[in-house]
This record gives sequence, C-alpha cells and structure tokens, in this order.
Amino acid sequence: MSIGEQEVLHAARLAELAVEEAELPRLVAQLGSIVAYVEQLGELPADETAAPHLAGAPAAPLRDDTVRRGLPPASLESLTAEFRDGFFLVPVRGTMAGG
Amino acid sequence: MSSAREVAAATAEALERTTAAGLNATLHWSRELLDREAQHADQVRRDGGTGSTLYGYAVAVKDNIVTTEQPTTCASRILEGYVSPYNATVVDRLRAAGAMIACKTNLDEFAMGSSTEHSAFGRVKHPLDPARVPGGSSGGSAALVAAGAVRAALGSETGGSVRQPASFCGIVGVKPSYGRVSRYGLVAFGSSLDAVAIFGATVDDAARVLNAISGHDPLDSTSVAAPPMGRPDSWDDLSGIRVGLPREYFPADLDPGVRAGVERGVAALRDLGAEIVEVSLPHTKYAVPAYYIVAPAEASSNLARYDGVRYGVRRDGDGDVRALYQATRGRGFGAEVRRRILVGTYALSAGYYDAYYLKAQQARALIAEDFRRVFDAGIDLLFTPTTPTPAFRAGEKTDDPVQMYLADIFVCPANLAGLPAVSIPVGRSEGLPIGAQIITPYFRDSRMLSVATLLERALEPTEEVR
Repeated sequence: MSIGEQEVLHAARLAELAVEEAELPRLVAQLGSIVAYVEQLGELPADETAAPHLAGAPAAPLRDDTVRRGLPPASLESLTAEFRDGFFLVPVRGTMAGG
Repeated sequence: MSSAREVAAATAEALERTTAAGLNATLHWSRELLDREAQHADQVRRDGGTGSTLYGYAVAVKDNIVTTEQPTTCASRILEGYVSPYNATVVDRLRAAGAMIACKTNLDEFAMGSSTEHSAFGRVKHPLDPARVPGGSSGGSAALVAAGAVRAALGSETGGSVRQPASFCGIVGVKPSYGRVSRYGLVAFGSSLDAVAIFGATVDDAARVLNAISGHDPLDSTSVAAPPMGRPDSWDDLSGIRVGLPREYFPADLDPGVRAGVERGVAALRDLGAEIVEVSLPHTKYAVPAYYIVAPAEASSNLARYDGVRYGVRRDGDGDVRALYQATRGRGFGAEVRRRILVGTYALSAGYYDAYYLKAQQARALIAEDFRRVFDAGIDLLFTPTTPTPAFRAGEKTDDPVQMYLADIFVCPANLAGLPAVSIPVGRSEGLPIGAQIITPYFRDSRMLSVATLLERALEPTEEVR
C-alpha cells in the first residue's frame, strides 16, 4: 500500500498537526519508507488471533466491579452557599472579552 | 562511606566537567539543589535506620520522569519550562531510600529515538568518542554513568532505550519486568510498553536502585501487586542452568566485533558451568515492524494532550481553536515525534487499522509466545547481542528512519513481551564497547541479575575482543 501527499495530509488533520508545504515531500518519502517496511507484517497468516498482549495483566489489581452509591444531589447542595439547576454558583471574578 | 554532602560536591564537579567536555548530557541541575538533596539524604539516614539503602548515591533522572524541584521537558519545545506539581513514584522512592537526585538528563524528544540526536536541546555525545552517539533514547543518563559522573541513573524503555545505550556506552542497563516498577509520573509514550529502567556502573549499583524503586504502587493500574525485588542472591557458578542462544539474533551480517564480544560471553557462561543450547524464536523478524506500529499508535493517543491549552508553550494559529492546536503541535514537536504521531494516526485510521494495527498486535502475541515456548522447554535464560553494531557515528542514520529503527532489533522483542532483560559490557572492539543481553522469564528479574553479576566478575569490560 503506497502512501502519498493526501494520506499524509489526512493523518496530519486527524492528529491536529500543521505541516508546512515545504516539508511535505520529505515527510511523504519518509513515511512511505516506514510503511513499506512494516508491510512485511502482511506475511503473517490471516487466521492467527490478534488478542492484545500485555505482560502481567491478569495480576494487575482491579477494583471489584460492583455498583456503589454515589453522592446524592442533596449532599452536593449542602456543600455550597448557592446551588441552582445542578450548578454551583460562584462570585464573578472577571469577564471574557466580548462577554 | 562518603557523606551525602561529599558525594553531592563531587557530583557537582563531575557534572561541570561533563558540561565543559561538551557531552550535553544534562538538561537541569544546580549545586543548590544538590545541597538540598544532601540535607534530605542525611535526614533520611538519621530517621530511617536500615531504610537508607541508597545513602551516598547521586542518581541522574531522565527528563521524562516528573520532579517537583526541577522542570520536566521531555527534551521538547512543547514542554519547555514545565514543572510538575508532583513527583514520580520512582523519584519519591529513590529519595526515601536516601539517594540524591543529581540532575535531569537529556533524551530523544519524548523518548522517541535510538541515538539522542532528536533532542530539542541538542544531541548528546558519546563519552569515548564525541563524533559518535551514546545510543538512545536515554542517552544523557547513559553518558553520565559512563563518564563516571554518577554511579546510577534512571532511564525509560519503550523499545530498548536503556539497554541499547548501555551497550553503546559500556555500562549496565536493566529493563525490569513490565509492572515491576511504577510508571506513575513517567510521561506516557507507549503505555503497554513503557517501563522505568536503570543504568548502573555495575550490576550491583543497578540492583540496589531496582530494589529501592520496585514494588506495587496503587497509583499505576499496571503495577503488579508484588513486593519490591529483593537483592539478587550471590551464586558461585551456573551449574544446572540452561542458556539459550536464539539463532535469529546471530545473523550472518552481525558486526564481527559484536559477534566476538558475545562469543566471549558465551565462553564465560560455559566456563561457569552453564549448558549452552541453540534455540529459535521464529517471529523475531516481525518485532521491529510490530513495535513501529504499536508504539506510534499509542503515542499518537498519549501525545494528543499537548495541545497548547493544558501544558507548556502555545503558538497562536491563524484562526479558530483547531488552528491553535495545529500550530502549537506542528511547531512544538520535533521532526521524529511528528513522524511517529503521523505513522500512529495513519495506522489507526479507517481503512488501515486491520492491515497495520491488528497485524502488529498479532505479531506481538506470536513474539511473546515464542519466548514462552522456549522457557517452557526448560531454557532458564537467553543470551544475545544487545545491538547489531557498536555505537555509530552522529548523523549516520538521521535521514533514514528505518535504518535508525533497526538499531533496536535485538532489544525491542523483550519490551513487546514484557520480559525482564539486562545488557552488560562484554569487551571492546576497536575501542568501542560491546554489550550482551540476558533475557529471562517474566518476573525473574532477581535471578537474571544473579547471572549478570557472575558474568560481570568473569569478564574484563575494557578488554579488546578481537
């Protein structure tokens, strides 16, 4: 699978990365050589499983998967002097430009 | 034993010497901070009784491990000047054991590289030959231990970033089992692979540090609920130990000096009573391509947080908030980090996920299964070259990312499988250090270091091997 300018620019948009026009040819060439190199993974048989491997994962401590009681809204209200429509009301410290 | 103040003063002088020599191994340190660290170490010793196992140690810390007393930049412009509000667990544990934090060390930006040429603050030079690289990405920590400025240093490994520079610099590099040491406060790169790892002037130095920093940490969900690693048992010989030499790690084009060094190590193992057996790890050739999909894919997610809003510098874009993100990330990250983010994003994007990411996960599982099969067949440890060549020249591989990635070919399989591994010096070829690697089953870190200690005693690390 070859990688061209459009693929690089698409990945850059997804990754929120600005790419200068002048650096694009070099990036396309370098990413192309990396992608060509990793293509050898395609030699692996298609029927092999791909379960993620994480060493020691079974021993990693996990919290019990049980439903626990959360804070009721009434107790939230008791934490603040002013509470309205699910929000804490706090003093105004400044305003945004235009707002 | 020297007092902490004496060690702090000697360390400061040594760091000044490395700076004057142009190693560029440190990013942040000061005499004032070292003095404060010495005061703290003395306090720990007064209060701690037997707790001060690292009293008298000044430990350098890679600058992707967060500290409250010094900035943490990951050698990136995007984090320039950033100071963490908390310490990494490993930093707290070092100080609780009486160690002093000597400095923060230079690295490849966000630990992405194999030569420490990809730092936003300039490349690190090899202590024996300034025209060569010290390896990477933990090159600053490795250079300081090799130059004798500190006896131990922390680095990090995602794909071999401690063992590879340890080999290049002629020192000891230990990658613990995944989950053995807390990753809390290690800036995330590839979370399923990342591990805090250790450089030591000797195996004992590294073992002492691993003893102090290992053990369960509730702040890291991948930390294994096990006590700290004990100090390695002292062994007299290797009778009854079966050592596997995986044939895939001895290709025909292996550097002759590296081959001679490793053969010297094999002879020493045999002399110590070990049985040497050739074995096969048939999926080894897929390790580098699998690594360079899995790690960039995880990095593309982990590094999404650096957007100019929450951390570090901000570059104003010409337009809306997306323009701000793109300008900040486009200019704040260096070339190698941007390359890896793009590769990772591409591999995870619609239409390519099955072809790359799923295949890489499949290769990773097969590589782990290769190791499991060999160890289940009665092999106690594997012995291999750490790197295919000695330290290469600066600039030799910077224009060809794939050639640079291949410098990790013998080290990244242990990261993919989560296994412990150590590199120890086995001699020199034309003046350049050669390293050999021991890999053992999961959580056999202490046993691995017992073998490494015996081998260290049997070999003169500065002797020419051919």
